[in-house]
Amino acid sequence: MKQNILKLGYLLLGLLAVLVIYLSYMQLYRGPALADNPYNRRYQEYEAQVKRGTIYDTKGIALAKSDYSQSKNRRVYPAGQNTAQVIGYINERYGRAGLESAYDRNLLGMEGADRFRNLLNRLLGREQLGGDVTLTVDSALQKLAMDMLGGRRGAVVLLDPRTGAVRVMASSPSYDPNRLEDIWPQLLQDPQAPLINRATQGAYPPGSTFKIITAAAALATDLSLAEKRFDCPGYLVVNGFKLDDTAAHGEVDLTRALAVSCNTTFAQLGLIAGAEGLQRAVKAFGLLQEPPVGIPARAGTMAAAGAMTPTELASSAIGQGEVLVSPLQMALSAAAIANRGIIMQPYLVDTVKDSLGTTVKQQVARTWLTATTPEIAEKIKAGMTSAVKNGTAQAAAVSGMQVAGKTGSAQNPQGQTHAWFIGFAPSDQPRLAVAVILENAGPGGAVAAPVAGSLLAAAVAAGY
Amino acid sequence: MNSADHDRPGLLSNAASLFGSRKAEQKLLFLTGVYTLAGMLVIFLTMPGATGRIALQAGLATVAGFFLVHIYWHFTGFKGDCFLLPVTAVLSATGLVFLFRLNSAYGTRQFIWLLAALLALLLTTRLLKDFRFLGDYKYIYALVGLVALILPIFFGREQGGAKSWLDFGLFQFQPSEFVKILVVLFLASFLDENKEALAAGTRSVGWLNIPSPQEWAPLVVMWGVSLLLLVFQKDLGTALIYFGTFLAMVYVATSRIVYAVFGMGLFLTGASASYFLFDHVRSRVEIWLNPWPLIDTTGYQVIQSIFAIGSGGVIGAGLGQGFPNLIPAVHTDFIFAAICEEMGLAGGVSVIILFMIFVYRGIKIALKTKDDFASLAAAGLTALLGLQAFIILAGVTKMLPLTGVTLPYMSYGGSSLVANFILLGLLLNISHEAEMRL
Repeated sequence: MKQNILKLGYLLLGLLAVLVIYLSYMQLYRGPALADNPYNRRYQEYEAQVKRGTIYDTKGIALAKSDYSQSKNRRVYPAGQNTAQVIGYINERYGRAGLESAYDRNLLGMEGADRFRNLLNRLLGREQLGGDVTLTVDSALQKLAMDMLGGRRGAVVLLDPRTGAVRVMASSPSYDPNRLEDIWPQLLQDPQAPLINRATQGAYPPGSTFKIITAAAALATDLSLAEKRFDCPGYLVVNGFKLDDTAAHGEVDLTRALAVSCNTTFAQLGLIAGAEGLQRAVKAFGLLQEPPVGIPARAGTMAAAGAMTPTELASSAIGQGEVLVSPLQMALSAAAIANRGIIMQPYLVDTVKDSLGTTVKQQVARTWLTATTPEIAEKIKAGMTSAVKNGTAQAAAVSGMQVAGKTGSAQNPQGQTHAWFIGFAPSDQPRLAVAVILENAGPGGAVAAPVAGSLLAAAVAAGY
Repeated sequence: MNSADHDRPGLLSNAASLFGSRKAEQKLLFLTGVYTLAGMLVIFLTMPGATGRIALQAGLATVAGFFLVHIYWHFTGFKGDCFLLPVTAVLSATGLVFLFRLNSAYGTRQFIWLLAALLALLLTTRLLKDFRFLGDYKYIYALVGLVALILPIFFGREQGGAKSWLDFGLFQFQPSEFVKILVVLFLASFLDENKEALAAGTRSVGWLNIPSPQEWAPLVVMWGVSLLLLVFQKDLGTALIYFGTFLAMVYVATSRIVYAVFGMGLFLTGASASYFLFDHVRSRVEIWLNPWPLIDTTGYQVIQSIFAIGSGGVIGAGLGQGFPNLIPAVHTDFIFAAICEEMGLAGGVSVIILFMIFVYRGIKIALKTKDDFASLAAAGLTALLGLQAFIILAGVTKMLPLTGVTLPYMSYGGSSLVANFILLGLLLNISHEAEMRL
């Protein structure tokens, strides 16, 4: 009988030992996934204890702050719908988005030294504090851009081509993040998709703004093409297909072709560059990548190079192919021309501070891509300057300053053309690069260019 | 020292003198006291107002209570095992600290129950020191036990899906917690008398020797009682513990593994039948297999439990720093999940190791006894406690389907606490007798 008791003892101890192993598996191996599970409310509960940090614009104006005046902590977005898609939201029920989500751990004081400070605060029953985030965005300019979009579908991006600092990132139509609880069901069903950040996540045919890429591709094969003269009878026949132009531009060089947006010339330049050359330029301008701006962004798309017939190549060269890009990507393309071929990494967040106000992260300007050579950029810049001076983009002109730009009127299946404008200013020493799109709003020169002009004028007046 | 002492091996005589004066128990209880007060101090510092003060006072009184029991034993020359009381003290103090942390009202009530349990322990080691007479009235309290079990079916209150409580207004009483001890004593006595017949068998059917009905009928009745619990009280966990203990004791008494296998087969048959017959059994199994689709309904509690356990990491969030209150009814069956969240793997494994030490000491007592009744009783009580701890710990960690029983000495609940302290007292009585005869 003693033998049996011993065996019983082994069995009981064995069962408990298995439990030790299983518990280790649960806590060490499965633990991190269980802690991060969206149904696990622990992060939210933790949030209720912490005074979440503030998000400021570049001038120190709060764009997201926590209001503790009432009994329940409430997140307030003073700029409301003007910054909705960039700032994002935090909501118990609907999750988190935008910069609020991207900098969650800093704002909650869960990073670096704040982590230990807040553990101490928690133990001592003191208030726990999060860190602050300062953006490069200027909320006054952002408001102006939103006002000019005026609820129409579209987006505006304004950035500094020398550093990559984003000054305006506007997406319309927008929504009021302060009223998320009331409007959520409508937001989800709204066919205009106000939750989408059109500036980074939009997918648009670039229309004629793409011609700067085509020009860069062609000049990369032969720089002397810049001096070559093309004859435009108002159409071009490629493989038996007739491509119509907007007008018979006569004999034009590259500068003039950019200024008047001559389809015939750029279709020919596309054929000279070839499908591979065009693809190489598209890649070099970063159109097939997600711009690393810190919030969700869409990589552009393009038909595979090998699959292109000459007709498709010609229409791609004038921006009517299967290329789809975001406004941020086009702003960066303009910035490449402005900045002697170099694209700086775009960024929205300038500094991150911890709860004591010590700077823990300071964004420094760094090169993202080399899109093209300074010589090629110079040639294209001349054409863009000419477009504003006496071409299709005259509506973007700002008095007292030379603006460079390129318009686009992108055909699309939804109706009227998308109105595009990309450009930079001042054209000799560019400090600002811009992209404007208004969906189905008509020709770019008439609709988008004036928006860009007013914004550039205001930005310069504000000291940028 | 006389010559007789010199004849003994040195180690044994040291051990004997140590146990005799209960020095080891005193030292361990002192450490336990420091541990308890440290825990209560954290509650005192982190909880505002009266809660912290009450917790600290309750901690002091608990430590004093355990020491009083120790001192009483010391002066009455009680020779029971010196390690079981400190182990139980750590477990119940941890439970108490966590109950104060989770909900001070439960903590206060548990504290009062703990004092009652300590009194019950004292009375058990005084009045039932000669536990042997318990074996003589086995059929009487088998009947009492049966009645006590059946009462809740007609007059009981349903709580947490199980209908096993009797409501006395001031407090609720769960007979099954006490009857389980009677079951062990009944089986020990019955098996002691009939083990030869059961082991050998009196008639043969084919190759199998089968004992006559007089020998095995009471055992079948036991199996019936387990199923009765399962079916009418919907108390899966308790049924499993009863039946597991029953099989363990039958195996220990008869050495015939075939009984255990046959019994397990019967239980599995019953369990699978109940899977198809009863919704609550089926839903428990479904939750265990995949709780995620049921996260908003029946799977919520178990998922919250593994969230808490998973969020604990190695050393946990720290006492009072986690969110175990997200688990519904965390103070009863799920207190272990709270410990895992705030004390981490270190705390969780420590609790399991304490139960392992309890089982180790219990088995040691069973091995030390001279006669079979005491041996069977000790083994049965140990198996009972070990199985109960295992079943609920495996349930809250989702290793096995959850079957809602209390975690001995730790979960909130007066019946459970008092019953398990009586169980401790009986084990100590058996150990006292074994030591006396050395």
